[in-house]
Amino acid sequence: MSIVSIIGLGKRYGATTALAGLDLEIGPGVTGLLGPNGAGKTTLLRCLATALAPDSGRIEAFGLDPAVAGQRTELRRRLGYLPQDPGLYPNFTAFALLDYVAVLKELTDAPRRRAEVCRVLAEVGLEDQARVTVRKLSGGMRQRLGLAQALLGDPALLVLDEPTVGLDPEQRMLFRALISRLGETRTVLLSTHQTEDVGALCERVVVLRQGREVFDGTPRALAALADGRVWLSATAPDTHQVYWRNADGEYRTLGARPPHGEPVRPSIEDGYLMLLGPVATEAVR
Amino acid sequence: MTWHVSVELFEAYDQGRLDPSRVMAVDAHLQACPVCRGAVPVDVVWLDRSWSVVLDAVESPATDRAERVLQRLGLPEHRVRLLSATPALRWSWLASTAAVLAFAVVAAYTGRAGAETVQLLFLIIAPVLPVLAVATAYGPPADPMHEITATTPLAGPSLALWRATAVVGVSMAMGLVAAILLPGPGWYALAWLLPAFLLCVSTLALATAMPLRVAAGVFGGAWLAGTGALAVSGADVSPAFHEPGAQAGYLAAAVAAAAVLTVRRRRLDPGETR
Repeated sequence: MSIVSIIGLGKRYGATTALAGLDLEIGPGVTGLLGPNGAGKTTLLRCLATALAPDSGRIEAFGLDPAVAGQRTELRRRLGYLPQDPGLYPNFTAFALLDYVAVLKELTDAPRRRAEVCRVLAEVGLEDQARVTVRKLSGGMRQRLGLAQALLGDPALLVLDEPTVGLDPEQRMLFRALISRLGETRTVLLSTHQTEDVGALCERVVVLRQGREVFDGTPRALAALADGRVWLSATAPDTHQVYWRNADGEYRTLGARPPHGEPVRPSIEDGYLMLLGPVATEAVR
Repeated sequence: MTWHVSVELFEAYDQGRLDPSRVMAVDAHLQACPVCRGAVPVDVVWLDRSWSVVLDAVESPATDRAERVLQRLGLPEHRVRLLSATPALRWSWLASTAAVLAFAVVAAYTGRAGAETVQLLFLIIAPVLPVLAVATAYGPPADPMHEITATTPLAGPSLALWRATAVVGVSMAMGLVAAILLPGPGWYALAWLLPAFLLCVSTLALATAMPLRVAAGVFGGAWLAGTGALAVSGADVSPAFHEPGAQAGYLAAAVAAAAVLTVRRRRLDPGETR
């Protein structure tokens, strides 16, 4: 079942192509977007969040077309969006900030709005910080507050641009637990630079490069791209391939087998690097 | 817990007949023992009421003076939140109103002293101040949260207009207050109001075709250039303000600009940036 259809989406910034005719169907659950900087992840998310109009192609979400004003408003009612740079007002308390966004999301009735604000604060574990100003919150807390505003009004579609950036491992774990729980009943599209996030969270991963889709499948299938291409050896391989010395003092090589190399089960990162890294050209072809 | 507070001890504690050291002992025990705590008589109604007062105080965000004034003017609470929530808006309110007042004061006193240059400067600059406020009322770069604001169902022309109206309204009202309070002939403290109104409405009308701050630059710049050139050429600028004909002209032009704005208001916020 598809909730979001993206058809031939194109966007240019001057001479730079951000999206080059992208086609994508997104269904319920958590879908992760991976890709190097400038691959078009943020542009895609901004278009889907109705912040940016594409140059060509179209988007349909819940059967609504954001290019039409009335349908765009209806889509916004079902959308929660965490931008890459949320710009949360530093002099607002966590509560006042969420209260303000809740008004923007048409929660006009004050008692209902307060209850909803308390609900999302508890959802992200910030109920103790309700009266603290954004300026005094830690980076991880701000990121959680950003997610909390996206959750206001219980939207069916969540668009999250790098939600785990700036979080320490423990916070990232809490975040993953929350997002995977949300993904059980909603459609979540998130971008990330963390391949571990994708492995832990996403049923599906889409890899973008230069505004095009270069992979679409499960995290396991992404890792499998490097099947038989990851090796451990006791001595440094004499090649131009990517290798590094791991914590056990062994050399991990990505690509062709080095002398005395033992095959290793590839990680998602290996698969991603096979797709996009320096070895990609000789490996994929 | 092996020991509980006896009925007699409880009575003495409740009626305040115990000496302080025993009160402390009972207090300490009550904190640790849910059984005895449950036996403490409670006025449920009183407790509920106090608790809801505490909850309200904790949960509801503080309303500041500006918000209370707006609510007293009859605006619904959620609308007040919307208007007062943009820091850019608040700073532009403060800055523009403070500047307007300062200019009015300066103009009033120098007007009495016959410092015509300062008076002229006031008449030229004052109408541009609300235009500056309008420029920062909505959208980037004045609003750091615009990306979030712009993707909510309430984003759009009506939100932009509400905010612009709020900033213009406040600047104008403050100017009027200054006109009433200040000594002297006072006409120059009032005379800038219609030109300012015209510039604001024209800016909003032009903003249906280009970004708000560009539109503000066009009209603010045109006004400064026009009146400035007139002043530099040595012509008398003051009839442009105190002649009834000139003021009627501003009003007519403002009505025309308002008509354009009404017809094209849907384009005030295109919805998605390009």
